[in-house]
Amino acid sequence: MRSSAAAEFLRKAAEKAADVAHRQTIRRNISSYDLSVGRGKLRFSDWEEARRRCAEIKWEAINHLDKYLLEFEQKVQARGGHVFWASNAEEARQYIEDLVTSRGVKLVVKAKSMVTEEIHLASALERRGVEVLETDLGEFIVQLRKEPPYHIVTPAMHLSRADISRLFREKLEGVTSDEPEELVAAARRALRKAFFAADVGITGANFLVADAGMIALTTNEGNARLCTALPRIHVAVAGIEKVIPRLADLALLWPTLATAGTGQHLTTYNTLIGGPRQPGEQDGPEEFHVILLDNGRTELLADPEQRDVLHCIRCGACLNACPVYRTVGGHTYATTYPGPIGSVLTPHLRGLEGWQHLSYASSLCGNCTSVCPVRIDLHHHLLHNRRNAVEKTRHGWLENVSFRAWRWTMMSSARFGFAGRVGRFAVRFVNKLGLSGTIIDPMRTWTRHRSLPEVPRESFRQLWRKRHGQR
Amino acid sequence: MGSAETHNQSREAVLARIRAALKAQAVRPEPATHSPVFPPVGKDLLATFHAACAANLMELVVTRSWDETAGALRAALTSVPTGEVFVEDAPELRQSVDSLETPVRWSSKGIPQENAVATITGCEALVAATGTIVVASERGGRGGSVVAPCHIVVARESQLVPDLEAAFAHLRAESIAERNSFVGFITGCSRTADIEKIIVIGAHGPRRVVVILQMDS
Repeated sequence: MRSSAAAEFLRKAAEKAADVAHRQTIRRNISSYDLSVGRGKLRFSDWEEARRRCAEIKWEAINHLDKYLLEFEQKVQARGGHVFWASNAEEARQYIEDLVTSRGVKLVVKAKSMVTEEIHLASALERRGVEVLETDLGEFIVQLRKEPPYHIVTPAMHLSRADISRLFREKLEGVTSDEPEELVAAARRALRKAFFAADVGITGANFLVADAGMIALTTNEGNARLCTALPRIHVAVAGIEKVIPRLADLALLWPTLATAGTGQHLTTYNTLIGGPRQPGEQDGPEEFHVILLDNGRTELLADPEQRDVLHCIRCGACLNACPVYRTVGGHTYATTYPGPIGSVLTPHLRGLEGWQHLSYASSLCGNCTSVCPVRIDLHHHLLHNRRNAVEKTRHGWLENVSFRAWRWTMMSSARFGFAGRVGRFAVRFVNKLGLSGTIIDPMRTWTRHRSLPEVPRESFRQLWRKRHGQR
Repeated sequence: MGSAETHNQSREAVLARIRAALKAQAVRPEPATHSPVFPPVGKDLLATFHAACAANLMELVVTRSWDETAGALRAALTSVPTGEVFVEDAPELRQSVDSLETPVRWSSKGIPQENAVATITGCEALVAATGTIVVASERGGRGGSVVAPCHIVVARESQLVPDLEAAFAHLRAESIAERNSFVGFITGCSRTADIEKIIVIGAHGPRRVVVILQMDS
């Protein structure tokens, strides 16, 4: 059965695939990314070994998840931080809503975080009358446009500088050109006061470091650093899969994340935070809260075949590598996590029934798997999801009957031969009448964008018999 | 929020789900060989660090005495607009900064202000291979290295370590992560490429980073 999300996906995919301006913008962005990543990999003497080591580190963490989360929790609490475990999005939101209400919070500054998108945190806080400002430039831009992020690393990838300039002229002061320097300066001015005025800074976490009891944040702009230095409360939201065993693992994970994410060798600011301001420290928040979010992750953990999907470090490389993502664009997926990783993950987070169609939003070329810095077997997981969808979801009677008929036909050489004769005749007939791709063509989904080949009169078996005699 | 924490019923539920899930074994990934993944770092750490700084658009000034360091500080501040400079209250910095004519706010007297024109701090280590400055709360706080448009770091030659691995070994040996609620690895200037992947220097943090490295005599 096709869900409404699937129908909407097909509609938007067709629209975006034909949008030439969109394709140009994405091509420009991703070409520049490819160039940069190519250079970045040269800083490694053995990129493949780096990938294997990262996969080992994440395997170790995910397959001992309880142990490392408890170690992380204990160390954060020892520094006076709070750790809250949330089973689902609602519990996580509720905790933060209660926190901002009880502390009389008016203004929240937010660093870039996909998990806060996943739990729809900003809109929940806004309903409570709290102003929430995204401070990452890309997120700030899409927030002004009231759009979700287009990409997990580059939220405004779909916009040209002219689009952004138009937006800023409308919403901000002092913008006269579409020079990136001027646009960045305008955003800096607009957000500068907010950093100093905000009561709460909300961030995600790129890693939760178990042996240090610290969260690791990676940012180029410095916005996450201001969010965690100036407001009096810091709230970090992280999926439970973000944990890693040791601080020293970052010596490899940081360069690998940066290289796969942007092509930089190291992102400008790699920051570790382990608690609120300690006695003797000059600044930092009075309160530090970490929310450990499950929200479907333990279900994925329970499937040893697909458990490695939890290794993902959200670098975005598979999105950039995916021919489908590049054609249909990030918003078409209508998911928090788009692209190959999102197509694998979303059926687990939101249900296989409504989201299995994403398993088919792939050419199975395997480019995603080959670029993944933690070696997640993404395209095979798309196949696993397809198989699971067949096993676990309901199907129309037509599909069931068709496959039974197909199986019956394939089980006998005579029936197969007969079906071939009928098929060849039908294709010739349809081609001759020019019906291919029209409304009455039952194969229309396939043939409206493709022409059927000329079909020979005789089958391979008939030709063989003719040339080699009966055997 | 103590009450919320004691009533965190989901904690046990999540842990129980994790433990139940892990009863099924996952296949181990292809083993790593644990051969080096980065090229070896050259013996001359200063030259390596110099090249990395240039690649990261950071300024490096090498000095040979406290007098030269004070001179380098003065020179670095000449191109900074007049205004308050925030300085980590450390004895070596007191020595070099006291001769400056600019208004100074010492870290012992409060946090850097919104209009600070520059900040001056020490560091925990400098990573030669990557051109990274390691700072922590005890080096001018969390804001000291990020709030102003210009960050000047005063470091000693002995603080140079070859690579990130050595930097983490140093953190462990000196218990720096235990002692500080914040540890930052800074590699270059604040930047963004969110508009058409065009790199713009100076987003929310410093657009200028100067390292004044004093050689050990």
